[in-house]
Amino acid sequence: MQRDVSVAAEFRFECKLPNGLHARPSSRLAEVANRFQSRCGLTNLRSGATADLKGVLSTIAADVRRGDTCLLVIDGADGSAAAAALRRFIDEDLPGFDEPLAEAFPGGSAPQLPRGLESAGSHCLVGLPASGGIGRGKAVAIGRASLTVDFAGPAEDSRLENERIDRAFTGVRTRVERLLARNGGRAESAILRAHLAILGDMTLRRDLTERVARGCSAAQAVADTGEHFRALLECSGSGYIRERAIDVDELCSELLEEMYGARFQPAAADLNEPSIVVAKTLAPHQLLSLDRQWLEGIVLESAGATSHAVILARSMDVPAVVGVADATRQIATGAEAIVDGGRGWVFPRASEPVLRFYQRERAAQLRRQTALARFAAAPAISLDGESIDIGANVSSAAEAAAAFANGADGIGLFRTEILFAEREQPPSEEEQLAVYTEALRAAAGRPVILRTADVGGDKPLPYLRLPDERNPFLGFRGIRLYPEHREWISAQFRAALRASARGPIWLMAPMIASGEEASWFKNEVGLAKAELRASGLPFDEKMPIGAMIEVPSAAFALDRLCVALDFFSIGTNDLSQYFFAADRENPKLAAVANVRHPAFLALLHRIARRVREHGKWVGLCGEMAADARNLPLLLGLGLNEISTGAHAIPALKRAAARHSAALCRELLENAMASATAADVETLLDSALPGDPSEPLLSSALVTLRSDSRSKDEAIREVVGALYAAGRTEDPRRLEEVVWARESVYSTGLGHGFAVPHCVSDLVSVNSIGILKLDNPIEWGSLDGNPVRMVILLAMRETGQNGMHMKIFSRLARKLMDQEFRDRLMGIEDPELMISHVGRELEVTL
Amino acid sequence: MKLVAVTACATGIAHTYMAAEQLEKTAKAMGHQIRVETQGAMGIENELSSSDIRQAHAAILAADIEVEGSERFEGVKLVRVPVQDAIKDPRGVIVRAL
Repeated sequence: MQRDVSVAAEFRFECKLPNGLHARPSSRLAEVANRFQSRCGLTNLRSGATADLKGVLSTIAADVRRGDTCLLVIDGADGSAAAAALRRFIDEDLPGFDEPLAEAFPGGSAPQLPRGLESAGSHCLVGLPASGGIGRGKAVAIGRASLTVDFAGPAEDSRLENERIDRAFTGVRTRVERLLARNGGRAESAILRAHLAILGDMTLRRDLTERVARGCSAAQAVADTGEHFRALLECSGSGYIRERAIDVDELCSELLEEMYGARFQPAAADLNEPSIVVAKTLAPHQLLSLDRQWLEGIVLESAGATSHAVILARSMDVPAVVGVADATRQIATGAEAIVDGGRGWVFPRASEPVLRFYQRERAAQLRRQTALARFAAAPAISLDGESIDIGANVSSAAEAAAAFANGADGIGLFRTEILFAEREQPPSEEEQLAVYTEALRAAAGRPVILRTADVGGDKPLPYLRLPDERNPFLGFRGIRLYPEHREWISAQFRAALRASARGPIWLMAPMIASGEEASWFKNEVGLAKAELRASGLPFDEKMPIGAMIEVPSAAFALDRLCVALDFFSIGTNDLSQYFFAADRENPKLAAVANVRHPAFLALLHRIARRVREHGKWVGLCGEMAADARNLPLLLGLGLNEISTGAHAIPALKRAAARHSAALCRELLENAMASATAADVETLLDSALPGDPSEPLLSSALVTLRSDSRSKDEAIREVVGALYAAGRTEDPRRLEEVVWARESVYSTGLGHGFAVPHCVSDLVSVNSIGILKLDNPIEWGSLDGNPVRMVILLAMRETGQNGMHMKIFSRLARKLMDQEFRDRLMGIEDPELMISHVGRELEVTL
Repeated sequence: MKLVAVTACATGIAHTYMAAEQLEKTAKAMGHQIRVETQGAMGIENELSSSDIRQAHAAILAADIEVEGSERFEGVKLVRVPVQDAIKDPRGVIVRAL
C-alpha cells in the first residue's frame, strides 16, 4: 500500500514542564494522539531519542526534560487534524499538567479513638476505608516480585540472548492470550489485557535489545529494563500509570519465568496463619495467589479505592485499608496487627485493650447480623401491609452474589461501566454476556437492572478518545456519547438482550434528558434485536428498557419518556446536584444539595406520581436510599423499589416493617409543604420509626453474664445490645450521649447499681437495657462501691409515650427498694428478669 | 411534722423519681408527713397546692435545675440540696429541714 506522504505535518515545541514529560502528561498526549489514525512520532532534539507518541512508555522513555526542544512528525491521512489537536493540547493544556497534585489523603491526622482506647498506648495508622470489616493477624509484608537474576549466569552471544527474549515474549503472549480467553468476564482479565498492551510496546522491546547489545544477558536485560520502566512509571502522579508500574514488574517476572522456568522464583508470600498483608501496592494476581483461608486483612500504601485489588478484596470480603502512608515501614512483619476496614484504621502492634476492643466489636457485629438475618430473608412490608422491594447497587457479578446473600430483592443498579474501565479496549459482547449471566445466576429469578455504561465526563476511558472537558459533570457522557460510539454500545445492547434469554434482565440508560434520547435508545435496542434475530440468537422480546431519571429536564418529559420506555430509576446523587446546581463533592455545598429539602421532595413526588399514572415501574437508587432516616419519605413516594449498597439492606427491611405507608404519605405531604429543610428534619424526628407495640424491655436487651471490665466497656456493651436489636443505628453517638450524662455526675446510685440514661432520638424506641457484671466495676458511685448491675434507660426525645415514661419513673423508684434490688441481682434467666420487672412495675412488658 | 419537697434533675427520667422515693420512704420511717412534687420528663406530677405549702413546716428543693414555681415557697423555711444528696442521704436532708 502506498503511503500518503502529502499530508505529513511537523512542528517543534519546547517542554516547559518543570518535571518534563513524565508519565502523566505523556499519558494525556497518548490519549490525544490515539484519537487519530496518523503516526505521531516525537524526537527529543537534545538527546536524539525518538518515541511513538501513542505509547506512554515510549514517550516517557524519550526522557524529555524542561527546556528540551522536541520535534513532532505527524504522518497520515488525518495528519493535519492530528497536528492541530496536538498543537492545541501542547499550547493550552500541557502547561497546566504540573500543578501540584492534591494529596490523596491528608496523612498523619490523628484518629478519634473510641473511649478507653485513647490511653491504651496503641499506635494507630490512618488510611482510607476500602473494604469493610475487622481483620486480625500477623503482619506479612509483600514486596514486589524480586528481579534478582544471579541464577542466570553470564551473558552468552548476543544473538542467543536476543533469541531467548524473543521466545519469552512469544511464550508469555501465548499464555496471556490463553488465560484471557479462559477468563471471560472477571476482574483479572483487565490486568491480562494490560500485559498484552505492554508486550506490544516497541519502546520496551528496543530497550531490551539495546541492553543485550551492550553485553547484558537476557535475564539481566529484562531485570534492568523492568527496573528502569518501573521507576519511571512509579514517579507518575496518576494512579492509573502507577498501576502500570506493577504491570511492568509482573510482566518482567513472567518473562524471566518463561526463560528460566523453576530457577526463577518470584518472592511470594506463603500464609500459614491468620495474616494481615502489608504492601506498597498489590497486583490482583498477587492477591489471588494468597491463601484466602489465612488472609484476614490488607493494608496498602497506594491510595486507589477503586483499584483492581480493592475491588477484589471487597468481593472476597477481606477488610482493607489503603493510602496508609509508609505502611511497609511502620508495620513490622510478625507483629499482631488489626485492620479496621470500616474506619480506615490500622493498629500495627495491637495492645491488649485494642485486641479486646475489636474482639468485642466483632462479637457485637455478629449479634446484630444474626438479629437482622431474619429480616434480610423476608420481603419488606410496612405495618399496614404495603410492600417495597429493597434492591442492591453493584458493580460486579461477585458483588451481586454477596448482595443476594444479604437479602436483596433484586439488583436495582448494576453499574456496568466498571467492565469498561482500566483497560485498553471495550469488553466484547461475549465477555459482557458471561458477566450478566453470572449475575443472573446469583439472582435466581429476581430482576437484574443493568445500567448501560455511564462513561465519559468524569469517567474518561482511554479508548474513547474523548476531548477534555471544562465541566465533565455537565459534559459529553452517558447516553449523549452513544450515537458517536454505536459500535461498542450496540455490543452492550446485544449482550444484555442475549442475557435476557437466560433470566430477567432490565436495561436502562444513564443521563437521559429528553424524549428524543429515550426514542433513540428504544430504536437502537430494536436494531440490536433485529441483528440477533438475523443471527438466530435467542433473546427476550419483552426485555424491559428504561431510563435513569437524574437530569431534571427528564422529570418534565415523563409523558414522552413513558411512551418509549417501560421503567424508571431515580438517581438521587446526580439528580440532586443538577437540580440544586451544587457539586455534591464540595463539602461547602452539602447543605445546598440536601435531598431532604422540600423542593427536592416535590421533584421526587412529581416523578413518582407521573410514572405511576402511566402505569409504569419506578424505583430509586442513590445514597438517599441507604439512610434509614429517609425511609418514611421514600415509602411515602410509593416507589416499587429502592436500591442501595447491600450492607444496608437488612436494616432497611427491618425499618420498613416499623412504618405505616399511609402515615408516610401524610408525612411526605407535610414535608413538601414545609418551609425549610430544618422543618423536614423536625418532621422526621417525630416520625416514630419505632413500632409502638415494641416493648420497652426484651430479653435481647438483657445480658446476665457480662465480662465487661470497665465503665467504657459496660456502656459500650449495653448500647451494643440496643444496636444489635435494631433500636439504634448509631451506637457510637449514642454512647457519647450516655457519657455526656455521666459527665454531669455519676449515675452509680450505690448498692452496686448504676442507672446510665439518656433522652435522645438516636434510639428508635424507648428501651431498658440490663447488664449483670461478672466483675464489679468502678463507676464513681454515690456510696463509693463498685457496680454489679447496670440498667440503661434510653428514652426518645420526640414522639413520647406516656405509658413508657411512667414505667421509667416507677423503675427508678423501685430501685430505691433493697428487696427489689436483691431480687434482680439473684435472677439468672433473661426471661425471668423481664417477667419479674414487669410484675413489679405492674405492666405487661 | 409536715414537709413538702420538689425533686428535679437534668434529664428527668431517673434521679428525680429516685430522690422522691427516698424522701417519701425516709420521712415516713422517721414518722413525718411529706408530699413530694416531681418535675421530670413527664412534666409536673403530684403538684403541691398552696395549702400544702402553707401547712408545711419546711420545704426541700432537691434539684439540679431551676425549679418551676419556686416563688410558691416564699416565706417558708427552705432547704436546697442537689438531687444526689436526697438519694444518698435522705435522712440527713430531712433532719436539716426539721
